[in-house]
Amino acid sequence: MKPDENCIIRTEGISRVYSSGGVSVKAIDNISFEVMHGDFIMITGRNGSGKSTLLHQLALLDLPDVGEIFIEGEKTTHLSEKKRMDFRLNRLGYIFQEYALIAELTALENVMLPAMMLESSKVAKKRAKVMLTKIGLHNKFNRLPSQLSGGEQQKVAIARALINHPKIIFADEPTANLDTTASVDVLEIFKSLNDKEGITIVMITHEPEELVYANRIIQLSDGKII
Amino acid sequence: MMRQLKLPFYLAFQYIRRGRKWTLFLTIFLMTAAFVNLIFLPSLFNGIIDGANKQIINTLTGDIYITPNNGQDYINNVSYVLDQLRTIDGVDALSAKMSVPANLKYNNITLSRQILAINPNDEKNVSNISQKMISGSYLSSGDRDQIIIGKQIAGGNGVEENAISFKGAKVGDKVTLILNGKPRQFNIKGIFDTKFVQSDERAFITNEALQKIMPSANNKATTINIRINQDTNQNAVINSINQKNINGTVYKWQEAAGVMKSVSNSFLSINIILSFTSVLIAAVTIIIIIYVTIINKRKEIGILRAIGIKPYIIVFSYVILSAVYATAGIIIGTILFFAIIMPYFQIHPFVLPICNAVLVLGWSDYIIRLEAIIWVSIFAGFIPAVIVTRTKMLNAILGK
Ligand SMILES: Nc1ncnc2c1ncn2[C@@H]1O[C@H](COP(=O)(O)OP(=O)(O)OP(=O)(O)O)[C@@H](O)[C@H]1O
Ligand SMILES: [Mg+2]
Repeated sequence: MKPDENCIIRTEGISRVYSSGGVSVKAIDNISFEVMHGDFIMITGRNGSGKSTLLHQLALLDLPDVGEIFIEGEKTTHLSEKKRMDFRLNRLGYIFQEYALIAELTALENVMLPAMMLESSKVAKKRAKVMLTKIGLHNKFNRLPSQLSGGEQQKVAIARALINHPKIIFADEPTANLDTTASVDVLEIFKSLNDKEGITIVMITHEPEELVYANRIIQLSDGKII
Repeated sequence: MMRQLKLPFYLAFQYIRRGRKWTLFLTIFLMTAAFVNLIFLPSLFNGIIDGANKQIINTLTGDIYITPNNGQDYINNVSYVLDQLRTIDGVDALSAKMSVPANLKYNNITLSRQILAINPNDEKNVSNISQKMISGSYLSSGDRDQIIIGKQIAGGNGVEENAISFKGAKVGDKVTLILNGKPRQFNIKGIFDTKFVQSDERAFITNEALQKIMPSANNKATTINIRINQDTNQNAVINSINQKNINGTVYKWQEAAGVMKSVSNSFLSINIILSFTSVLIAAVTIIIIIYVTIINKRKEIGILRAIGIKPYIIVFSYVILSAVYATAGIIIGTILFFAIIMPYFQIHPFVLPICNAVLVLGWSDYIIRLEAIIWVSIFAGFIPAVIVTRTKMLNAILGK
């Protein structure tokens, strides 16, 4: 297979087997596919079909047992945890289903945090303000997560994922805990990031009506793409 | 890199600022308790040893004492010896004592106790017994049939050695001094209580009184006690005394502290063992506190790692957090100790048969324990944080 210039992620036959209590589950099974620059991909499938497991591999949060993952042409499975961390910090953004904010930090501080790894806190703060404003939270900078609604928390998580200008955003059911309005908000943010800034988006969803946002849909069943 | 080093401080600061106030309060309270516990015992032991040493110096020996040479019963020619000693730099006061080989009889109780003949004016400057009279008054020079006795001789209710005492002799009562079978009436002029049993088992009469019943004792002594200037070196004075070729043997007060020395030595080993256990208990307490804190933050730590915050930053933030807890505990503990606990025991000392002990905290004891607590808490922050940052990130985040 000749690597494509336009390809941002490529997986080659990745599998991940969980074994616990003597039982082993093949959560994803020999998956090969490509994500192109500027793609908006939605992954769907039943509960337990392996969606989260796949996303964890792509976002370098976990390691496949077999297979290889290329990000912008670079092999990643042999990388040290330190290198993988650099990847996550600089090139990838990840959004968890449950907001996953740091409880002791305000919205602004949560968003600043990844930027503070790379820049002065002054610059980080400025950028975080811009990011939160863009996402519609200009009047919630100093709220703690506990003082924000679910939708607002998820937006803070998105701003945090975006702060270091990643090329790819991964999101695992980002709208699962949100009402329809908040869900549409989040999806519209993704759409505009995708359209206007060319950020590649790979997200998991259970909602059929959300699929219209995607330019490509990947359906998983029993750890395989169908 | 330098920029990243600010992050752990930033995180620790926010954890403290925005974390649960009750948790913070309890943690610091436990740290305070651990620290106070750690400094209390050595202070008590120091206080007892210090108190006992002072009792020996102030009621028994002075700073330096001289006894007859081996094989001799007396230091002869005492007035000459005293004159010689007075010329030595650093010698503040002198008191020669003659031990009277007599028994004391009160009603039908006869006791064999140490009876010392003194010059009251000299003795006042060397020992503090004159300030420890609990009834009656101290001897005056020229008193001929007056005796002062220690509380343990007088006896009475609540006195430690009541069973082997006069069981309640009072000032104004008569006691009989029996020397070489010859009885002589004395009037109890005063009773003293130094709170040091060994000192309170003695009785004093004046040299003039002894003169009358034992003329051979003239110008002789069985001990000379010496007070030296606070700023003078004990060894230097002893050297000067030895150069005078006095017919007596010179000792430091420490050499009379035989019993106390073995007590101090056992305190030292008890102190080491107890300090060790206290540090261990403090360590375990701190480790548990920090461990619980960190386990509660397992998910957050996973998230921090997932978004690219390096593990060393996370670990360092918890080390700082524990160091802050420890420092707060040390500061509050120190204030508590010096402002409340120490003054309290100053007013209500521990009553012991050797002395009334107060708390005395040595500077080095304090520093060593302070360092122990700091290191232990750094360790306590470090280990659980490392453990948590080593666990699988996804398991931490997803709570598996
Ligand atoms: N840490 C784990 N240990 C053991 N088995 C696991 C673990 N994580 C996932 N699995 C199993 O792997 C399979 C795939 O799980 P995964 O979470 O990827 O599914 P999913 O498609 O995201 O499901 P859902 O829609 O419920 O989120 C499931 O059978 C699940 O039970
Ligand atoms: Mg899932």
